[in-house]
Amino acid sequence: MNRLQANSADLAGETGPDADTAEPRVLGERLTGWILVVGGLVGALAAFVLTVEKIALLKNPAYVPSCSINPILSCGSIMSTGQAEVFGFPNPLIGLATFPVVAVTGVAVLARLQLPRWWWLGLQAGALFGVAFVHWLFFQSLYRIGALCPYCMVVWVVMIVLFSYTTLYNLQEGRLPAPRRITGAALRVHSTIPTLWLLTFAALIGVQFWSYWRTLI
Amino acid sequence: MPANNAKARKRTAKGKPAGAARPAGSPASGDTRTAQARPGARAAAGNAGAGKAARQIRRTGMSTNLKVTLGVLAVAMAVVVGIVVVNQNSAPTTAAAEALVRPDSHRLSTAADGKTTVVEFLDFECESCLAAYPGVEKLRAEYGDRITYVVRYFPIASHPNAFNAAHAAEAAARQGKFEQMYKKLFDTQNTWGHNQQPQGAVFEGYAQEMGLDMAKFKADVASAEVAARVKADAADGENLGVRGTPTFFINGKQYTDQPTYAGLKAAIDASLAS
Repeated sequence: MNRLQANSADLAGETGPDADTAEPRVLGERLTGWILVVGGLVGALAAFVLTVEKIALLKNPAYVPSCSINPILSCGSIMSTGQAEVFGFPNPLIGLATFPVVAVTGVAVLARLQLPRWWWLGLQAGALFGVAFVHWLFFQSLYRIGALCPYCMVVWVVMIVLFSYTTLYNLQEGRLPAPRRITGAALRVHSTIPTLWLLTFAALIGVQFWSYWRTLI
Repeated sequence: MPANNAKARKRTAKGKPAGAARPAGSPASGDTRTAQARPGARAAAGNAGAGKAARQIRRTGMSTNLKVTLGVLAVAMAVVVGIVVVNQNSAPTTAAAEALVRPDSHRLSTAADGKTTVVEFLDFECESCLAAYPGVEKLRAEYGDRITYVVRYFPIASHPNAFNAAHAAEAAARQGKFEQMYKKLFDTQNTWGHNQQPQGAVFEGYAQEMGLDMAKFKADVASAEVAARVKADAADGENLGVRGTPTFFINGKQYTDQPTYAGLKAAIDASLAS
């Protein structure tokens, strides 16, 4: 009876000592797999487009990228800044090389392949780097360059979603050390986390370019 | 062990159609352990009970997530709608004529009859403004004092030297050389434009060429007063609905076609003829 009670308590999310045996899995393979596949593909596509635009801009300095819509939404002015090649080469090359790995991981999850823990920790490290980089770029874009590049914003969104779900999935599967109570609580509102994150970004953009948005009202 | 779970789930679903539905995704090991601990009918019932509870929790868990997320989105939407409504109500449409040409706005020419006034909101570092510039200069030469031509600052933050250039023009204006600096900045835009480094020294060079009092010029460029003057122009533009540069107003009406020589000329002619 004790065993059963402990089990029910775990199922109710009231974290018991052997919680890992009976925690309901909120993030299944299907949801996680699809998020990784779609996120990886969209990110790779955005990185690809940015790379192609960069090449066009290099060939012809007067080229106006397809996403230079107006003074605020403008890739051209951003792509020609130093921040666009922090590591000495154009930033989108990083995404071009790494987003496909995320997509393939998603395919593996959907195919119910068992990936080793180190693979997941590698993905976690990559996602952490990506999301940190995206925050730096966000800051530079808003407060140093003063313009937004639509394709880059696609990457921001994708990166935040991918990081959120990679982390949540790793926490759920016990690959990252964290108190079960916190993990359980976060998993119960899993889609709220990236939503709030992105809304914060949107709010900061709204405030920073307020004088511009006002004219559109 | 994700793969095992999935298989276990499938098997359960097939093998026991009624009553034995398990929590989707609940680890198989938990179930087996329960079953081992309590063999027999009571254990089966307990197992089903635990399964039901888990299912319920899982369902409410899912909907909690959805509820919270949708709730957050709804609040965000409400805030945006609120901001839009508030701003629509307070959208400044009055005093448009005053905001268009202020007493201290820079007039390149003044029409004696005051019939036609062309106002251009521009950014010295904007490519489209540079593209419109030759047409504008041709028109100014042709119409001379038959039209009032007003230039207003509308520096755009994504251009690294837009404000510096506007400050240089305003500092030159304070020594009566606005028009010269206006021309110089457009004539040389390709040399200083789209450069991340501040181009203040370049602008000082132009001021020197024009024979300006350099001490005064430098002081003016750096002064808060000049910065405020440029900002005031841009604020007027924003209130008038200027979204980008160049934006032209002909007798208070925004000119929305391409700012080509022919297009602007037709609009000016229409205004003069009316």
